[in-house]
Amino acid sequence: MDGGADAGAVWRHCTLVNQFKKKGGAVELIGSIIVYLVFGCFAFGMMAFAGSMSYFAASSGHLDKIDLVLLGVFALCQLANIQMGQPGTVFDPTQLIRFPLRVGNYVAIRLFFGLLSPANILGGLLSFAVVVGVAVAVPSLWFYALMSLTVFAVANALFSQMLFAWVDRWLSTRRAREIFTALIFVGSLGIQWANFTFNPAYQKKPHGSGVSMHGINNGVSFYHRAQPFIGALPPGLVSRAMVAASRGHVVGFVGFTLGCALFGAVFFAIFAWRMSVEFRGENLSDAANGVSAKAKPVVVAAAPVVVVAPQPEGRSVLPSAVAAVMGKEFLHVRRNTGIFYGLVAPVVFVFIFAGKIATRGNAAWIFPAALAYSLMGIAPLSFNSFGLEGAGVQFYFMAPVRLRDVFLAKNLVGFALAFIEIAAVFGIISYVAVPPTLLMLGVAVLWAAATLLLTTALGNRRSVTAPKKIDLGRTASKQASSLSALISLGTLVGSAAIGGGLLMLALYLHTLWMLLPLFLAFAAGAFWFYQQGLGSIDRFAMDHREAMFEELCKK
Amino acid sequence: MPPAIVANNLSRSFSGFTAVDRIDLSVEAGQFFGFLGPNGAGKSTTIKMLTGLLEPSGGTIQILGQDLIANPVEVKRHIGVVPEGMALFGKLTATEYLHFVGRMYGLDKATTTQRTAELLEFMGLANEQKKMIADYSHGMGKKLALAAAVIHGPKVLFLDEPFEGVDAIAAGTLKNMLQGMIARGATIFLTSHVLEIVERLCSHIAIIHKGHIVANGSLDELRAGVQARMTPGVDVDPSARLTLEQIFLNIVGGEAGMTNSEQELPWLG
Repeated sequence: MDGGADAGAVWRHCTLVNQFKKKGGAVELIGSIIVYLVFGCFAFGMMAFAGSMSYFAASSGHLDKIDLVLLGVFALCQLANIQMGQPGTVFDPTQLIRFPLRVGNYVAIRLFFGLLSPANILGGLLSFAVVVGVAVAVPSLWFYALMSLTVFAVANALFSQMLFAWVDRWLSTRRAREIFTALIFVGSLGIQWANFTFNPAYQKKPHGSGVSMHGINNGVSFYHRAQPFIGALPPGLVSRAMVAASRGHVVGFVGFTLGCALFGAVFFAIFAWRMSVEFRGENLSDAANGVSAKAKPVVVAAAPVVVVAPQPEGRSVLPSAVAAVMGKEFLHVRRNTGIFYGLVAPVVFVFIFAGKIATRGNAAWIFPAALAYSLMGIAPLSFNSFGLEGAGVQFYFMAPVRLRDVFLAKNLVGFALAFIEIAAVFGIISYVAVPPTLLMLGVAVLWAAATLLLTTALGNRRSVTAPKKIDLGRTASKQASSLSALISLGTLVGSAAIGGGLLMLALYLHTLWMLLPLFLAFAAGAFWFYQQGLGSIDRFAMDHREAMFEELCKK
Repeated sequence: MPPAIVANNLSRSFSGFTAVDRIDLSVEAGQFFGFLGPNGAGKSTTIKMLTGLLEPSGGTIQILGQDLIANPVEVKRHIGVVPEGMALFGKLTATEYLHFVGRMYGLDKATTTQRTAELLEFMGLANEQKKMIADYSHGMGKKLALAAAVIHGPKVLFLDEPFEGVDAIAAGTLKNMLQGMIARGATIFLTSHVLEIVERLCSHIAIIHKGHIVANGSLDELRAGVQARMTPGVDVDPSARLTLEQIFLNIVGGEAGMTNSEQELPWLG
């Protein structure tokens, strides 16, 4: 290997370090550390679970059941890869193709960077936890467990690299992205529906656990029917290798482990094929793929443009600039199926959940709970308001508008979407469960308004200090600030805690009527906070414009 | 009539490095003003400050007699800008984008619609108006950025490398349009590395080097100054016309480091 790999690693390192050196980088670094600490806690919990399950399987002589744990590890890694993204936002490795690298080195560099993704590290840790679980239960198997699970971890990581390399290729056109998002949407709904329809744990039973023997038998029967297929996949091959090792069949162990390794080799080959095409250079835009309509020959008009002075604004409820930005925002929402999915999915899930969960005892809580859940889709939108606009953000600083108006327009679109969502949730809850009482309706709406105002006020600031350029063609890349996501979630949780606290207080004092003035005060406070933020956003944005341009105008 | 652009003591520092150091500029209304300089001289920093994209560390800026820092919104109503990064919205079509820009400048819907159609036709983008801007070539993006910069009929137009990536036919059309604007009294502030274009279009030129204005005047004034410096004590022959490239290289070329044979790289093939 020539110096390309070293140079690539140094480039990656410098880019990562430099992003924390810039203005606001220290805060972003702290945010990342917090996020990774939280992530570490989750990972530790999952490692403990995977290790325990493996220990119980091995100690009870059911090593063949380890395939279930490994299937879980596999699924979790893919989900984490989707949720947490690949490390690509601060460093675009496709830029390396302009250097005199050999294709092998390019593939190696891409693979190396991809393997460092948080999800792949998690997969490695969970595999190691399985090794520990097996080794503690049956110490004589430690070496075999280490070998086969190392192969599994590598195959697992290679699978995710292969998958995301191809997903980026397939989703390079807008049409494909829309189809893919629709498929995910339908798939998610299907899983949720099936879970609630067939999972015995969600069946309403007056007494008992709700899990019947019949249900358990069905589950076991399904597992046995699927076993031959699972057995031919890496999780099954590894568990069969462990069984063979426990019986002293070294040849069987080697064979099954090599089978898993073969999967890894195939994944790598498909990944390398994709990378080699990328290495040769390709244009994945809609235009290059013939998605856009073919242009007719251009005829340059000879007549010069008539330059006229601006006309006075016509009468309108909203200022022209606010209306213009709102119109553009609606176009963005309409064209971004990801955002559309994020808005519609909670409403559909509420439709599925509410009817199943609602009982006479919890009727009062269903509406506020559904409302809080649906806000999770809207609240994060304001935290990266300029992400889709990229270099276009400069226009707002060149145009004769106040940034306050731009933010107001963007926020109004967010509020309008939230209003539609709240109305939909109200309609659904009233239809499938029980309509909320007038008091609970008022309280929940006031709480939602307060929460939305608080998250939007904070989101506006974060849109300025920590914007992230969104590249829809790079779906597997991380496209949001970790700290922003944390603040968004934290604000929702904090607001829910305040709401819950006020509710407890009213219940304790047996004065439910107090809730309305209390939540009204909460909403008024949030409105004041939002207004203060909006009032000073011009100066704030002006002070941070260079950092915004640096991130949003990058190629 | 006050000058279209006046900058006094304009400075900008970045973490201790002074990119623009107390420069003074005055551009009269109706001038086609070329602003030149080697890479890193402070051109883009200056144009960003003049258009409100960058806050000056010191100094004042007056556009059409109004203070840009004190009245940014009012000043921006009368200026148009094609910035370095073009500032386009990739997820809109050209028609949607020009409509959006027109509305942001306070034009009514009918005027915006009419001018959008005219500009798209004029720029040769009428057949591409339904395509997402993200799928435009660099040159098409430049033409659209220029259309957006003039849709409100600005009195002062700032252009940062407007012809970069634009084909020769379209460039010719754009030059005609810009000269037409000058004829109708507009002021244009242009930066470009293509000195032939600047020489052909601009009536006045300033050269910035290492953050300082090192030359400022009409092309003839710059030419006379350079010739006098080349031959001190000798009357300048007006027929010996130096090109802008020669003038530019004479003023900053030696220090920019591309003409000295001692600085050649012998290992280059």
